[in-house]
Amino acid sequence: MAMTSLRATGLRKTFPGVVALDGVDLALHGGSVHALIGANGAGKSTLIKILTGYYDAYEGRIEINGRPVAIRRPADAFRAGIEVVHQEVDTTLVPYLSAAENLLIEQLAAPGSGLFIRKQALYRQAQQIVDELGLEIDVRAQAADLSLPQKQLLVIARAVSRRAPFLILDEPTAALSIRDAERLFEIMRELKQRGVAFLYVSHRLAEIQEIADEVTVLRNGQKVAHFVGEAFDIAKGVEAMLGAPPGELYPKRQPAAERRLVMEVRGLCWGARLKDISFDVYQGEVLGIAGLTGAGKTELLRVLFGCEQPDRGEIYLNGKPVRFHLPKDAVRHGVYLIPEDRRNLGLLVEEPVRMNVTLPFIRDFSRLGFMRPSKEYARVLQLMDRLKLVPRKPDLPAKHLSGGNQQKVVVGKWLFGAPAVILFDEATQGIDVGAKRELYAIMRELARSAAVIFASSDIDEVLGVADRVLVMRDGQFVGEFEAEQADRQAVMRLAASTVHVRS
Amino acid sequence: MFKMKLPPLAQREGPSLDLGKWLSDFFLRYGLILTLILVSLFFSLRTETFSSLDNILDILRAVSILTIVALGITFSVVVRGFDVSVGAVTGLAVILSTALMVIWQVPWYLAVLICLAVGALVGLLNAFLIIRLRIPDLLATLGVLYLVQGLQMSITKGDAVYKGMTNPWSPTRAIAEGAIHPDFLRFGQGFVFASEGFRGIPIPVLIMLGVAIIAFVFLELTRYGRIFYAVGGNSEAARLSGIDVDKVRTIAYVISAVLATVGGLVLAARIGSGAVKSGDPYLLDGVAATFFGFAVLNARRANVIGTVLGAVFVGVMLNGLTMLNIAWYVQDVIKGLVLIVSLGLSYYTTRR
Repeated sequence: MAMTSLRATGLRKTFPGVVALDGVDLALHGGSVHALIGANGAGKSTLIKILTGYYDAYEGRIEINGRPVAIRRPADAFRAGIEVVHQEVDTTLVPYLSAAENLLIEQLAAPGSGLFIRKQALYRQAQQIVDELGLEIDVRAQAADLSLPQKQLLVIARAVSRRAPFLILDEPTAALSIRDAERLFEIMRELKQRGVAFLYVSHRLAEIQEIADEVTVLRNGQKVAHFVGEAFDIAKGVEAMLGAPPGELYPKRQPAAERRLVMEVRGLCWGARLKDISFDVYQGEVLGIAGLTGAGKTELLRVLFGCEQPDRGEIYLNGKPVRFHLPKDAVRHGVYLIPEDRRNLGLLVEEPVRMNVTLPFIRDFSRLGFMRPSKEYARVLQLMDRLKLVPRKPDLPAKHLSGGNQQKVVVGKWLFGAPAVILFDEATQGIDVGAKRELYAIMRELARSAAVIFASSDIDEVLGVADRVLVMRDGQFVGEFEAEQADRQAVMRLAASTVHVRS
Repeated sequence: MFKMKLPPLAQREGPSLDLGKWLSDFFLRYGLILTLILVSLFFSLRTETFSSLDNILDILRAVSILTIVALGITFSVVVRGFDVSVGAVTGLAVILSTALMVIWQVPWYLAVLICLAVGALVGLLNAFLIIRLRIPDLLATLGVLYLVQGLQMSITKGDAVYKGMTNPWSPTRAIAEGAIHPDFLRFGQGFVFASEGFRGIPIPVLIMLGVAIIAFVFLELTRYGRIFYAVGGNSEAARLSGIDVDKVRTIAYVISAVLATVGGLVLAARIGSGAVKSGDPYLLDGVAATFFGFAVLNARRANVIGTVLGAVFVGVMLNGLTMLNIAWYVQDVIKGLVLIVSLGLSYYTTRR
């Protein structure tokens, strides 16, 4: 095992219009933890997907112990001894099987394992694995009944028990308490002794400093820095992740003629995800909310839009308290959401652009219930011109548009209304720079007559487009900055500080 | 959504029209209609009576109840739901309407209203189970299927309803004194626009056309139809666009159950008595008609014209096969094969 090594060179993966990974080299060695960091969209997940056989088409070479291997399918990665523990553990566990069955599912599925399951033997074997790792998991419990950290540790235990020489951990501590995270690090150190090679992906830089032997930093699909051992510290990591300040991507801020208070939020709480959120937002401003994935930005916007009911707290709109039971109620008050994940939440992908954009205010395009196609076409074409939405074909199904144009459709459907507050959630994810610039400009224009809340995990973007920035972490606001004076490294440090979810 | 024009052909860039692609597009779009024409031609050449106007109207009358029920199923499928309770609801309307008239001597129009109200209630129950209790649609409506079937039989303690039956609820086993009113029977047996040498148009056919036209206008031309298709396309995106998705789905299930009831009323009027479980076959045939409709014009979604053509297609096939003296037990085999082939074509080609 001492010889174990994986060397990837020149990995490159493109999607239509986007280069996700641009010639990245990466080496893993037995007995060492290699950390991979980078902002959202830097290419971390693409890299993991390549190594785990998710893509069959990409450029580059992968060698294991000096011999080239082809990894084009998950089975290839499995044969090569690469195991991955994903962030979303629920998708990899069978909820109605016991922890033991999930742990040893491979054996159960293997040919020749016999027709009947010998439960007692199974439990014994599972218990042994769990004990060996010092975990507190009831192997007889149904997976569905385990807590999130327990599930996370179970999935890690499963990967470990397969004795894979390469272990990829993708944000493994996101759901863990400090104690569980410490336990995980102990396990990792022990496995290092046994010669396991780790690829450790995380946003939490303090953790990386603690556990990593080597750090690779990705930005915009490229490897921009590589640190070995003590050479890494948080400040350097932040600097490399952010890179040089971007140039003229963002529209000029215009001092608002009048700052009229539109929305006040007081003491909003929602489960463990939002804790005592209070803020004001004014017409004429773009309020940025910066925070890493999982900080609670999406949850906050969903509560403001009426998708979820807050446990406590008040929302005032133009001075009057409001309570939205459904998104419908929010829309009626001029509160609009551009959701994250536009394909699943923002669009009817099979339907034409026309049908997508006229949906929220469809009443305006009908008379006595009957649709008025000529009015609809005319106004949709106007909208497409205003947004520079191409191709200029109202009947084209939304799925055939590029990401940027799809996002314009999602924004465009609200432009037929009378916005008071517009909520943008990760609105520029996966779209190219040109489309981003156009979206920022649209947002600025909207901010003249409405209040805009712009939530993103891209710190630079938030600082670039917002007037005022609130930093969010673990469901709370942890800082407020005037965007123009904010120090991006300070914001990043604030957002990325290690504060574990306390369970 | 159903469209009259041919956008993909018109929108293709450049002058190079690949003939093979064009042909496959053409057949996907018009395949079912072509098959319908060919099958009709075939049957009219092989049999003498097939193409006569009377026979055509007979076929339409034969499929009228099926079409009405299938249009109800179409509504639930449009919002990406599913309702398997429709056959039982149809049967309930048959027994309930006739029992009300024969056993309890309720005026026929009141019996009709009661049945429609009960149908709407079943639709609300389905919606409640699916939307509030979050039971998967297939399972919820399966439960309701049994419930409704049981109720249907309980109304008469399992007896069929006919004039002069013994009243199952009478302690003295007295003869039920009511009768099915002739005005009610006209809904199933009557004709209008009769003239010299022309029997007239069957009233069930007119009811079917009325329902189909209203459904078409609702789903294709009004904003409500737009909203229904939006909910079916992506209910979460529709919700985040400010649509009350639960309300829309509730309405769809109520429409489904009410149309199943309308079908049952016409069926009761047509046979003039109330046979137990007489609605059952309409579930499977109605589902088949709806899914045949997916293939019509390559719509790949439930749509009114597709469902009507699908139902007519089923009717034509059965009628033609009967005329050709194909044994009844083979007919289901043919129905199944045709459904598989048309759906297979429609779905396989959309994969790419």
